[in-house]
Order: sequence, then structure tokens, then C-alpha cells
Amino acid sequence: MSKKIETQTYERFPVWRRIEHIIMVLSFSTLGLTGIPQKYPSSTAGAAILQALGGIENLRFVHHTAAIIMMFGTAWHILVMGYSVFVMRDKMSMLPSLQDAKDGIQALFYNIGFVKEYPKMGRYTFEEKLEYWAFVWGAAVMGATGFLMWNPITSTRYLPGEFVPAAKAAHGGEAVLAVLAIIIWHIYGVHIKRFNKAMFTGLQTEAEMLHEHPLELDEIKAGSANRRPDRATIRKRQMIYFPIAAFLTLGMLAGIIGFINVEETALTTIEPLTEPQIYVPQTPVP
Amino acid sequence: MRLGKQIRSTHSGISLRASLTLLLGLLFFAYAVVSFVTPVQAAPVYQENKPANDFCLACHQEDGLDFKLGKDMIPATINPTQFGNSVHSDEGIMCVDCHTDINDYPHPKVKSKNARAFSFTLFVVCKQCHEDQFLKVQDSVHQRAIDGGNTNAAICTDCHNPHTQGRLTGKTSGELTPAARVHIPLTCSKCHSVIYDAYKTSVHGNALTQEKNTDVPTCIDCHGVHNIQKPTTVSFRNSTPFLCAKCHTDPAIMDKYGITTNVLNSYVADFHGTTVKLFEEEFPGQPTNKPVCTDCHGVHNISKVDNPKTGIALRENLLVKCQRCHPDATIDFPSAWMSHYEPSPEHYPIVYAVNLFYKFFIPAVLGGMIFFVLTDIFRRIVNSIKGVKHV
Repeated sequence: MSKKIETQTYERFPVWRRIEHIIMVLSFSTLGLTGIPQKYPSSTAGAAILQALGGIENLRFVHHTAAIIMMFGTAWHILVMGYSVFVMRDKMSMLPSLQDAKDGIQALFYNIGFVKEYPKMGRYTFEEKLEYWAFVWGAAVMGATGFLMWNPITSTRYLPGEFVPAAKAAHGGEAVLAVLAIIIWHIYGVHIKRFNKAMFTGLQTEAEMLHEHPLELDEIKAGSANRRPDRATIRKRQMIYFPIAAFLTLGMLAGIIGFINVEETALTTIEPLTEPQIYVPQTPVP
Repeated sequence: MRLGKQIRSTHSGISLRASLTLLLGLLFFAYAVVSFVTPVQAAPVYQENKPANDFCLACHQEDGLDFKLGKDMIPATINPTQFGNSVHSDEGIMCVDCHTDINDYPHPKVKSKNARAFSFTLFVVCKQCHEDQFLKVQDSVHQRAIDGGNTNAAICTDCHNPHTQGRLTGKTSGELTPAARVHIPLTCSKCHSVIYDAYKTSVHGNALTQEKNTDVPTCIDCHGVHNIQKPTTVSFRNSTPFLCAKCHTDPAIMDKYGITTNVLNSYVADFHGTTVKLFEEEFPGQPTNKPVCTDCHGVHNISKVDNPKTGIALRENLLVKCQRCHPDATIDFPSAWMSHYEPSPEHYPIVYAVNLFYKFFIPAVLGGMIFFVLTDIFRRIVNSIKGVKHV
């Protein structure tokens, strides 16, 4: 029995999920690293990163490129989530619920010894949901404030000028929060506590499932987990979803292109200030 | 016989030569006494048996000595009072220390074709005593212009008339005297009159020329003296914020006028300043399109920010500056720049609120996370000690 639960595996993340994750890891890390010299221009770390990338203009280019990649990642995520929810009618297991709060409190009480039982959780634990929604919040804040800074002329046509430095303040504060939250919560939760390889292999053993997602395991065993709709139903829903998705895709694509290109903020070469004639000797008083 | 002949032929010359020798001796003695009690800043190479200044002035105080050189008239009359007030006279420098080719009358003929060429043959003697300054000038924009064939560029004597130049630095302090500071722009204005006209109306120039206020920068505070560099280079531009900051971050100067010393910090903290600072460190010689102090405040014509006509505290005035690089900017755009303010409830309250929010939000979120992680670590340790299997 014990041998079986060590070898029996369940798919946790299909391959597109894993690709999504890698895209986010790469773009997030790049954004964080290239953000350091911009938030802390006097720091040694900032200077080193700046040096490595060959100056502030290159660094900003890399930062912007990583941001664009993350925007595409986000757009892709929205499209596939739409497919998952509308076509496949998967359970919206990532939505937060009151149970998550209860689970969190129970886990904390268990840790400090107030209760004997650790909460039994389903497909996503409260820790995972917290991180996911923190990422959603972070992406929204960083995207909005990033837009204000990237396109200050367009922004100040509709908003007070003060929103731009406010966006900069929020962008920097949120960045610090996001990077440190990843280091504390994510690194501890899935690398230190136990190196959870599911996001790379896509698989979890039954033993791991029993530990971390016992309710999901129960559902799978009971056959009440996500059931694949029949072909005809999928086909029918696809016929509805694909045009919507196409429309969404165009909209998001336009959004991203607009984000990048809505304005030419500054001229890249500026005419030098015209200094009055340099050599104008005083005419001697007659 | 020979002696008799000489006596006879130069009978009147004997008394002149004797009295001259006596005078020379007395002067030399006086010079020796003076030089003993006053610090000598420079040690010129002296001619042997050189004629005294009075000897030269005997003729050269006369009017009508001006002579023609090409098309130019060379003034050769020296006002003894003016010369007497000069630092050179004060230091006991003799005419022939500089006019090294002259020690008697008649003088050798001037070979230069015009006045400028004549000055060029003479000014090199300044090096004898003022080698430091002379060598610095070799590195200057003026020397570069001369090397490029522009003989209008200043040489020593254009700024320092050797016959009238007063003492510029305190005898004991070595510091530039207030009077000398006030006079500097006038010196430069001899060639740079248009720039002087702009400077004189600026907040700095007005204070200097009208109030004799020496807290404000004169030409040399920004451009240097002697080794003046070309101010239109990229490196000069990129280093401008640090140049202005020399005074503008000094509370000893700024507090008197109620001007904040936070201007550099607040500039560096904002988009443009961060870029320029990083640029200045990485590529001091590479052009950047980000503005430095002078792009908004002006160069020689810097005015008070609250000047109702030109002050950039007025959004309309600042917008014009913004539009130089941001041609599409509209009226709300200038307030995207925080005008050197620290965000506070009065100035930039939204920025202040955002900062305040994150000041509490970041520690609250991270603190909660750290607390939970610590309890998790604690439980794992307790469980492993107790031998309980952790979930």
C-alpha cells in the first residue's frame, strides 16, 4: 500500500500551465532585477545590475520587454482560463472562499499547538490561493501604474499630473512587496518546506496528494472531480467560445500594442539650448 | 689721457650716472627691505643692473607716447598712480621683469605686425612668476581656440591688465576677495557681453551686480578659472546637477535665503534625475535626452521660480520647458514632475498617501507571512522532536 501511494501519480499541472509558469518566473525575475537600479539608483546592487546591462537605457528596454512578455502571459492566462471555465466547465477551484480563511486559521492554530488537526484542503490550499490572488493584485497594480509611467502624456490628458509620481511610488512599493512576498511565501512554501516539483514535472504522487490536497484526492477517487464533457458538448461550446476568445484576443492585443505605442513620450535627441553668441566684445565707449 | 678724454666728453653724464647708481642702490635697498617683510608669491628672474620703474616712468607717464603698429595704436603711457595701486607694483615687480627685451633707451624696435601679435609676444613672460595659472590656461577652451587659429581668445593680459591689476586674493587668506568676486563678470563681459547681459538680469547676476552679494556664483564658480572648459560638452551637461548642487545643497548659503537644500535629492529621486545620475556614473560622455538643472531653470538667465513672468513655478511657464522634449504634453503634464517637493499632505498628497499606504501595507503583509512561516517551522521542529509525523 505504502509503496503504491509513492508511485501512483496524478497530473497536477498540464503542460501549458507549466509553460505559463516558466514565462512568469522569467519575466517576473527580470522585472525585479532590472527594477532594483531604478528604485535604488545609489545601491551597489543597482550599480552592478546596471553595469551588467550596459546602462540605464538598455536596462529600461529590458524592463519594458519583460513587462510586455508578462502582459502576453497574462492575456494567454485569461484566454485559457476562459476555455477551462466556459468550455470544459472545470470547477473554479482557485476562487477564494470562507473555507480558506477557516483553513488558514486552523493551520496557524495547528502550528502553534492550539488544535491537533491540520486542515484538509482541496485542489488549491489557502496558501496557494493567497499567492495566486496576490499575483493578480500585483499584476493589476503594476500594469496600471506601469502604464501611467510609460505613457505620461496620454495619462495626464485624462488624469491629474500627480498620478504619475503617485504611480511611480506605488510601482516601487508594490515591487518591493511582490519580490519579498515571493521570497518569503513562495520560496518557503514550495522550495524549502518541501521541494514541490509538480510545477515542473506536472505530477504529484498519491502520498503528496494525501498530505496536501486530500479533498481533491477524495474527489478524484469518487469520480466527482472535473469530468470531461462529451465531444459534442465541447464542440458546441467551442463554437461559442472561440469567436469570443478571438474578440478578446484582438482586444487584449490592441491593449498591449497601445500600452507600448500610444505615445512617443520624449524626443530622443534634443536640440541643444541655443546659447547667445559667445564672443561679442564690448564696443569701446567713444 | 683716456680718462681725461672721457671726463671731458661726458662731463654732464658723470653726475647723471652717479645719481642713477645711487637711486638704483637705494631702490634695491628699499626693495630688499620690502621683500623681507612681505611674503613673495613669485620669484621672477631678474636682469642684472636693471633700470628702476621710476626710471621707466620718467618717460612713460608722459602723454603722447602711443605708437602705431600696423593699423593699431599701442598705448605706451602708464599712469603711475594706477600702476602704483597694482599688485605688481605692490610686490615690487619691475617693468623690465616683464619687458625683458628692454633695459635702456632707445628701445629695440617692436617687430610685431599689430597690437594682438604684440600681446602674444609679451604674455608668455607671465609664466615666469605665475606658472601654475599659466599651465592651467594651456588646458583651457581659450587656449584651444588660440591653437585653432582664433587669436581673439583670451590670453593672460586680456583679463589681467598687468599695469593695473589689483590684488585679487587676500594677502594672508589667499581667498578671492569680495571685491574681486564682484569684478569677475565685468572681466569676462569684455568678450562675452551678450552672456553678461543675460547674467546680469538673472537671480544670481542681479544679486551680485546690484547688491554686491558674493554668495551667488560668478562666472568662475561654474566655468572654473584659467583652465576653463568648454561648457557645451556632453560631460559638462551631464555633470550640471552636481555643479549646481555645490551651492544648492549647502545650508550655510541656502538657509539665509530660505531655499531648500533638498534639490539634488529630490531631482535624483525623480525619473529624469535618476537617469542622469545613473548616466553620469556609467557614461559621463554619452548624451542623454533627460533634462539637467539648466534645461528648466536656464543657464545664464536663471530667474526666481516665482518670477511672475518667467518663473517655472507657474505651470504654463514650465510646460514650455517640458514641451522641448515632450512636444505633445498638455497643461496637466508639468505636475507629473514634483517640482523638488517632498511629498507631504500639502504638496503631492496622493503620492504621500501612496507612500504612507505601502509603509504600512508592506510590513503588514510580509510580517503576517513571516509569522506564519515561523509557526510552520516551529511546528515541524516540535513534531520531529516528538516523533509525530507531520501532515
